[in-house]
Amino acid sequence: MDYEFPDNLKYMKTHEWVRIEDKTATVGITDFAQHQLGDIVYIELPEKGANLEKQSSAGEIESVKAVGELLMPLSGKIIDINSNLVDNPELVNSSPYGSGWMLKLEYTNELEIKDLLSVEDYKRIAEEEN
Amino acid sequence: MITDLKQTPFYSIHVRLGARMVDFAGFNMPVQYESIIKEHEAVRNEAGVFDVSHMGEFLLEGNDVFDFLQYIMINDLSLLEPSKGQYSCMCYDNGTVVDDLVYYEENPNRFRMIVNAGNVEKDLQWLNEHIGNRDVKIMNLSSKRSRLAFQGPKSDEYLQPLMDVDLNSIKRFYFAHGNLNKTPIFIARTGYTGESGFELSFDNAYAEKIWSDLIQTGASPAGLGARDSLRLEATYSLYGHEINDSITPVEAGLFWLVKPKEDIDYIGKKILMEQKTHGTERIIVGLNLLDRGIIRENFKIFKENVEIGYVTSGGYSPTLKKTIGLGIIKKQYKEIGTKLEIQVRNKKLKGIVVSTPFFRNI
Repeated sequence: MDYEFPDNLKYMKTHEWVRIEDKTATVGITDFAQHQLGDIVYIELPEKGANLEKQSSAGEIESVKAVGELLMPLSGKIIDINSNLVDNPELVNSSPYGSGWMLKLEYTNELEIKDLLSVEDYKRIAEEEN
Repeated sequence: MITDLKQTPFYSIHVRLGARMVDFAGFNMPVQYESIIKEHEAVRNEAGVFDVSHMGEFLLEGNDVFDFLQYIMINDLSLLEPSKGQYSCMCYDNGTVVDDLVYYEENPNRFRMIVNAGNVEKDLQWLNEHIGNRDVKIMNLSSKRSRLAFQGPKSDEYLQPLMDVDLNSIKRFYFAHGNLNKTPIFIARTGYTGESGFELSFDNAYAEKIWSDLIQTGASPAGLGARDSLRLEATYSLYGHEINDSITPVEAGLFWLVKPKEDIDYIGKKILMEQKTHGTERIIVGLNLLDRGIIRENFKIFKENVEIGYVTSGGYSPTLKKTIGLGIIKKQYKEIGTKLEIQVRNKKLKGIVVSTPFFRNI
């Protein structure tokens, strides 16, 4: 498998990545997920300020052939969304961990962080699904 | 189980190219090699090669083949001549569709027929059931022969140097038997992309050689994903979506296929001619979205909160860079410009009826 999974991120088994900095978390979908979806053509993200529970739907990712859901990795408030993706959804294909990031949240329950997966655990899941 | 899937003679080539393989009508087929959008654009701008060997191929022979097909097909075979093909449907008595297909007249007693992959067994049964006392023999060549589509604005330019027949002499919907780099092939100027191009059929023994000859012309491998997005832009019906055993060709907008054939009582004629003359309660229309989003098949269509139909095919158009779709709706809403709503998961998006085809280069 030639997918890229940065060591410094946390992951979900539903293929989101999470970058935790102080009280905030940046979220996107993994290289494996963008590859599985194929050419991404439309992304719907929540409103800034929305309060969402962990595991609830935070967006929809439509590719030519399929639709995927973005799940909240942690409960919290949406403090920013990547508005570039409205006109350039293909950034998720070309740079899933960089300019293809999807949203930033301010998490409300620090204890939930330990439920996220390490890169090693996520790699195993992605390999099984591949 | 993936191991139960059938393979075309190009299977190992697809795997070697790193294609994403999916189950399509019981075959393990490439949905994309690298990117559906890139493959779609290659066909719109240059040329692409599609493995369509999953489709069925029959040879019908006998003194009564012409009469038999006039009885079982809704289109009129008297418009044919040797070396010409025709698109048609065969229908049930109630006018809904057994299959849509293309047949080619080799001579009045010998026709080659290409049918949908998922309908091969059903079609064979339907055809055989209706032969009666006629002199008609049907040979199923589906697994003995390979089929490729070579489509795009550069298909003539790319293919001519390899061919021993003048491609200009093959007009649209005509065919020839010739040699591609010394290999014997059937070549028809037909396709399913809205571009000029050809469909080829040949013995399985030549499969790898012909694939490699075609790719060396500069054409790109293209998968079933691009095949679907291209045909949707070109607004060609897909069996199981726009036509099936509960939608008639007239409802699908294929009223031009339904021919009077004065002295022939073909199957489905009564209801189809009536529908063609008087119209139908529902009809397939083109759809665009006024809101952002993507529509997919089976999404419900509403007018002022009253359900009026559903999406038969929908998706993103790589050429037009917007969402397009086809939907079957009540006839009073079919006028171009009619605004309606389409249920996309938990919300209704605004849509509008538009003219079709969405895009064709031929």
